[in-house]
Amino acid sequence: MPKEKAHSLRCPTCRALVLASEENFPFCSDRCRLIDLGKWASGGYVISTPVTDPEQLENMRPEEPGKDHSENQ
Amino acid sequence: MADQTKSKKNGGNGNGNYTAEDIKVLEGMEAVRLRPAMYIGSNGEMGLHHLVYEVVDNSVDEALAGHATKIDVTIHIDNSITVVDDGRGIPVDDMVIDGEKISAAQVVLTKLHAGGKFDSSNYKVSGGLHGVGVSCVNALSHQLDLEIWRDGHVWEQAYSKGQAQTKLKKTGTTKKRGTKVHFLPDQEIFTTTEYNFDTLAQRLRELAFLNKGLQITLTDERQTDPKTGEAKRLEFKYNGGIAEFIKHLNRGKSVLHDKPIYMEAERDGVQMEIALQYNDGYSETVFSFANNINTVDGGSHLSGFRTALTRTVNYAGQQLGLFKDVKENLTGDDVREGLVAVVSVKLPQPQFEGQTKGKLNSDIAGVVQAFLNERLGAFFEQNPPVARKIINKAIEAARAREAARKARDLTRRKGALDGGGLPGKLADCSERDPNRCELFLVEGESAGGTAKQGRDRRFQAILPLKGKILNVEKARYDKMLSHEEIRAMITALGTGIGKDDFDPAKLRYGKIILMTDADVDGSHIRTLLLTFFFRHMGGLVKRGNVFIAQPPLYGIKKGKTLQYIKDDREFVRVMVKRAAEGMIVRYGEGAAKLEGKELARFMTTLNEYIGFFDKVNKRIRNERITEILPRLGLSQRADFERDKNTASKSIQQLEKELHKMEKEQQLKDVQSYFDEEHNLWGVQFTDSQGAERHINWELAATPEYRQMMSKFKQIEAFMQPPFVVELGGKGTNGDNAADLSDAEREDLEKAAKKSSKATTRRTKVEAEVVEKQSARELFEYVLNEGRREYTVQRYKGLGEMTAEQLWETTMDPERRTLLSVKAEDIAACDLIFTTLMGEDVEARRKFIEENALDVKNLDI
Repeated sequence: MPKEKAHSLRCPTCRALVLASEENFPFCSDRCRLIDLGKWASGGYVISTPVTDPEQLENMRPEEPGKDHSENQ
Repeated sequence: MADQTKSKKNGGNGNGNYTAEDIKVLEGMEAVRLRPAMYIGSNGEMGLHHLVYEVVDNSVDEALAGHATKIDVTIHIDNSITVVDDGRGIPVDDMVIDGEKISAAQVVLTKLHAGGKFDSSNYKVSGGLHGVGVSCVNALSHQLDLEIWRDGHVWEQAYSKGQAQTKLKKTGTTKKRGTKVHFLPDQEIFTTTEYNFDTLAQRLRELAFLNKGLQITLTDERQTDPKTGEAKRLEFKYNGGIAEFIKHLNRGKSVLHDKPIYMEAERDGVQMEIALQYNDGYSETVFSFANNINTVDGGSHLSGFRTALTRTVNYAGQQLGLFKDVKENLTGDDVREGLVAVVSVKLPQPQFEGQTKGKLNSDIAGVVQAFLNERLGAFFEQNPPVARKIINKAIEAARAREAARKARDLTRRKGALDGGGLPGKLADCSERDPNRCELFLVEGESAGGTAKQGRDRRFQAILPLKGKILNVEKARYDKMLSHEEIRAMITALGTGIGKDDFDPAKLRYGKIILMTDADVDGSHIRTLLLTFFFRHMGGLVKRGNVFIAQPPLYGIKKGKTLQYIKDDREFVRVMVKRAAEGMIVRYGEGAAKLEGKELARFMTTLNEYIGFFDKVNKRIRNERITEILPRLGLSQRADFERDKNTASKSIQQLEKELHKMEKEQQLKDVQSYFDEEHNLWGVQFTDSQGAERHINWELAATPEYRQMMSKFKQIEAFMQPPFVVELGGKGTNGDNAADLSDAEREDLEKAAKKSSKATTRRTKVEAEVVEKQSARELFEYVLNEGRREYTVQRYKGLGEMTAEQLWETTMDPERRTLLSVKAEDIAACDLIFTTLMGEDVEARRKFIEENALDVKNLDI
């Protein structure tokens, strides 16, 4: 993993190259920042990994409604 | 004017017959002079310029009717104006008005609402002006000279303040045709009589755009070139019409597609011309014109345009399948972001609304709409790449609109009853000085609970975040921060969010500590949180407010002593050190021996070597082959270089080695090859799975390969299997050697040696001898030896620790270690995040796998 100081990065929204010295870094513009924030605000960033535990898979369906309920509280 | 009519009739001038009929005519001109603003908008600068437009519009009408091609406008040094066209010339024949014979030209110049444009058979479409015509100009001019070239003759007439000074006289012959109007605005009427070149140029240019092919020149005799003595002059002529207008409007902007989209047609008597082009900006620039009049307030033509644009873009987006992750239709605002368009219609007898005539009322919305639907739809079908660009821009606009709404929701207080508005899940601290407060962002409710019990509530606050959600549908874990989680976080931190609202000075806690499980899930959630901080609260990172807690990964217990170990590296280090006590490893033929610290160091480096070896082996998928590489020392570019005809020595050697194991490893097609592109040699083979593998400089240049080689160099001397392990007595009684600090252990060992020589001797007698064929086996054996005396617990989650344990190891400022997040870490974090979020499923899988490697290998 590169550890050197980041001089530029791609704008997370539009992929334009943005210098670290720019005002909206790592975004190219306030608008791109807002779009990204909106994505966070709507749960748009998800890292999805398969459930590998067979026991968990087995128990998933019956367990879920109760679990869901308690999570919502 | 009475004089004129008389003069015409009687062939004389001003003989004083003043009748009621004449008063009407007088009234017309007099009314304009009394209230000029009613007719030309104002008696200021705007009205002054309007005079020119009125005259020019008459000429434009001639052009529209297909009779004129050229209009020349000149500003003279006295701020009088000359307008010349090459049209048919105003009719000169007499007509009967109110029972009197007057030349048609004089009617046009002296009667309000007179002129050819009111008869739509003559001018189908008139540049329509404001219905008052050139007579107003006449009325408001101190002097006006009319010259008409028609049917081979020249006609002239002079006016002052709307009154004819002469009768229309044939003065000569000519081959030209057209009309020339020269006028001097009346100083008694206008508050200013100074013409502005740029103002006139702008409108004349606009007219040239709107009437393609028409040439309009503007000459300013007041401004002359000091060298040539020539007057300032601009010429406007646009064969591309409003398409060139669009280019003009988009100059200096970065456009989405090279050519403006242009369409024109005449339907139901309405001439329509539309041009549009998108730039990468966010504003909307749309001009609408009806009969060359800039309808600043829009009207039916504009609304027809807008409706059709929205509809067509939506339709094309569906056809092209671009709306997969767009919930709602694109709105009009969305499709008009970055739009530059000109809508120009020309129609007989347009109906306008309002005094300024800025809005078209004629019922043509339907015609315009159908026209654009059809043409733009067809354009999109024929130019899918352009369509895609435009539609994607609109989708982006829709996203931005939606994002802005959601982002606003993040900080909007739910209700007045919220009080301080702190999230319910937050277990706040009692200290109020932010510099002394800490906020732990803890992943998971159960870990959150443990942290709440373990914390020092005076200055430590806990905010549990639910980061992992079981997605039953897909049988997947979705790791994410929901709207509510992010909202709770922002509220707890107190800084606000967004460019204008974010204020690091309002931070309620001096330290924000991310505390997540030491497993893959935990690292994912940490990555999410860090990415959010880097992107939207970068100020906090810069100020050094963000930290990562370092909970231990292992608890190892010997007797009653529990020791915490933070990661796998340290775990191996401790285990190996422990195992090396009293152990002797003999290696190679000469049976050289390794023991004590040397052995421990060897084992530690060996462990690192194995780690890199496994990564390299992922590319070769055959341990036996991977093993050869460090032995041959194939690491420099030079090792792969030689001339075109002979392979390098190292490569020859490698090829030989591979041939040797060809049968045993079921290899096929082993051969060295020359890579012409890089002038380098390599070896290729097909493995037992049928996959073609290459060993070349590309492989040798990877970081894992280099690391493998460097680690190998450090331990090369010992890498001589078989290894013979002799286990001696360890001088331990089983209850005193929990792995404490080195100093402590040394003390213990000294004590043990003193007190139990007998024991030592006895165990030596019983010493085991074990032989291991490979370094890897040796390492595993040694590691297991080390572990034998411990009860090892691997903390899969924070929740597996007791509240006291969590306090002792991770939260207590006296004992914990915190990792400070630095602004420089953004690149690394971004890389991980991008990979985790990436579209490339394979790359993501690989990444997760490789980064989970250390955890997996030593999973207990």
